[in-house]
Amino acid sequence: MTIPGWILDIFAAVMLLVAVVSAARLIVSRSLRGGDVDADIDVIDVAHLLMGIAMAGMLTAGLSTLPDGAWEVIFGVLTAWFAWRVYQETRASGARVLVRGCHAPHLVHSAAMVYMLLALTAPTAASGGPGMSGMGGASGSAMQTLRLPTLALLFALLLAGYAVRDLDLLSGPAADKRYNLAGTGIAPAGAALATASALAAAPSTAVTAAGPVTAGGGQGPAAWPEPAETEPAASGSRGASGGGPGAARRLALAPGLETGCRIAMGVTMAFMLIIMI
Amino acid sequence: MSDIATAGSRATWRGARSTAANATWEVPDIRRVLQLVLAAVWLLDGVLQYQSFMFTKAFGQMLAATALGNPAVVARPITWNAGLIEHHGVPLNTIFATVQLLLALGIAWRPTVRPALAASIAWSLGVWWFGEGLGGVLNGAANPVSGAPGAVILYALLAVLLWPADRGGRPALFTAARPLGARAARALWLVLWASLAYFALLPANRAPQALHDMIAGMADGEPGWLAAIDRHAASLLAHQGLAASIVLAIALAVIAAGVYLPAPAARATLILAIVVAALIWVVGEAFGMIFTGGGTDPNSGPLLALLALAYWPARTMAAPPPPAAGHSPAGGEEGVTA
Repeated sequence: MTIPGWILDIFAAVMLLVAVVSAARLIVSRSLRGGDVDADIDVIDVAHLLMGIAMAGMLTAGLSTLPDGAWEVIFGVLTAWFAWRVYQETRASGARVLVRGCHAPHLVHSAAMVYMLLALTAPTAASGGPGMSGMGGASGSAMQTLRLPTLALLFALLLAGYAVRDLDLLSGPAADKRYNLAGTGIAPAGAALATASALAAAPSTAVTAAGPVTAGGGQGPAAWPEPAETEPAASGSRGASGGGPGAARRLALAPGLETGCRIAMGVTMAFMLIIMI
Repeated sequence: MSDIATAGSRATWRGARSTAANATWEVPDIRRVLQLVLAAVWLLDGVLQYQSFMFTKAFGQMLAATALGNPAVVARPITWNAGLIEHHGVPLNTIFATVQLLLALGIAWRPTVRPALAASIAWSLGVWWFGEGLGGVLNGAANPVSGAPGAVILYALLAVLLWPADRGGRPALFTAARPLGARAARALWLVLWASLAYFALLPANRAPQALHDMIAGMADGEPGWLAAIDRHAASLLAHQGLAASIVLAIALAVIAAGVYLPAPAARATLILAIVVAALIWVVGEAFGMIFTGGGTDPNSGPLLALLALAYWPARTMAAPPPPAAGHSPAGGEEGVTA
């Protein structure tokens, strides 16, 4: 007997949801930037999108898309990218970024994907057909297992560690400034984005709503606006009234959503690694 | 849309997303860090419960075996529960795994840390009885090397010692003393480690081949390197059961008394505790037999080490600050160092 297929399907559905959310974030953020590419930001959403699709395919054979080889290349490139970013962060801020930084978990996620793809052994019974051979493809017969199970446990421990760290980050004191989804919706990160939405939607009010925004963008990236400065603007904007495209944009771009996706993927990946040991 | 508005929008957007993308985790105080480690162990526990073995009848039979040798009042509920799981394994095990996953997420999520820790205590006590037969404490099968007094009771103990409250306004001597006070926390430590020392000397554990047989039996199904460690350790302990048990009992007794010693000596005994916990985890527990696909939890090794860290003497322990308005129940810890 193996794990009931419906449990794998639930995890696969969560991964598809992560993929959809990440795709929405990518589209909304690109449109707000007028199509500009910001590699540092876009790569995270792209990584979430691809991992969501790939993991859903691994969990349920019916959702498999690309062949294993293609995924190995994709996640190999992502691993190299995040390794480079972690290296840069480490040079700038020391080894503590491995615990505190935002790119280290993405590196572990990407590397774990590469490991899973390379270490998967064929199930003893029928598999899921062409393309990525999903774990669910062997439901009712035998599970796939991983070579080098020590690495699987190591990755699972790291993923569990980053998942609880991210939950603490999401709910800790710093979240007041970064991740608060309560009140007016998303503040102050959301407020900044709401301001952006307001600017896009109502230019006449945007000048006052902009507050800390540097007109013309000459000062580079804006700091987080203070809630007191931006919330009235946000609540006065069309988007903050609880409906419309502004609210949807703010929801899609909420930083907490990105972290939430990372937590969901970390837990699901740890689950996959452990059940395939 | 005006150019200024567009540019302002993009600058705001870029600032918001860049900051979010580069958000760093501010390392909280030591108690919160230990809570997060506990949450990570619960998370691992939860995903282990989803392994295919746990959905089979064999899982129920494994639980039923823990009733053997226990008093009837303890054994009957275990047998009843095991029968239930044997016949309804899929829904019940899914609930078990999900509960453990939720406990992990609840402890890691600051607003729910208190209810999650409270629930983890209740859950742990239930599993200790129905799933572990009270860790073999009552039937003479408890062995500290194989996880006595039951890994799950250590989750409950940690939840109590890491409870987010501070007793009185005085600085605590170590993290575990914050909710209970130093005297009660030390007493719990003493009871735990002294009982481990006692279990090490039980007749079943001090027999000449007892440790050898137990460790040699762990090698099956383990990765090559771990199986080699187990076989080597087993060969070293062949016919040395009594001597090994006495050495282990002395080490455990020293650890038990360690928290009553002055800080430098206490630190030394806590390091000894962590070393012993690591040895137990690797050699005696084979990482909770996770690699065999039948491990329901990482076993007691990591939890004993986590406990030792909770008793690490503080260098500077400021008085707990008043709870900050609008912060979560886990708040009020900022500024406290251990």
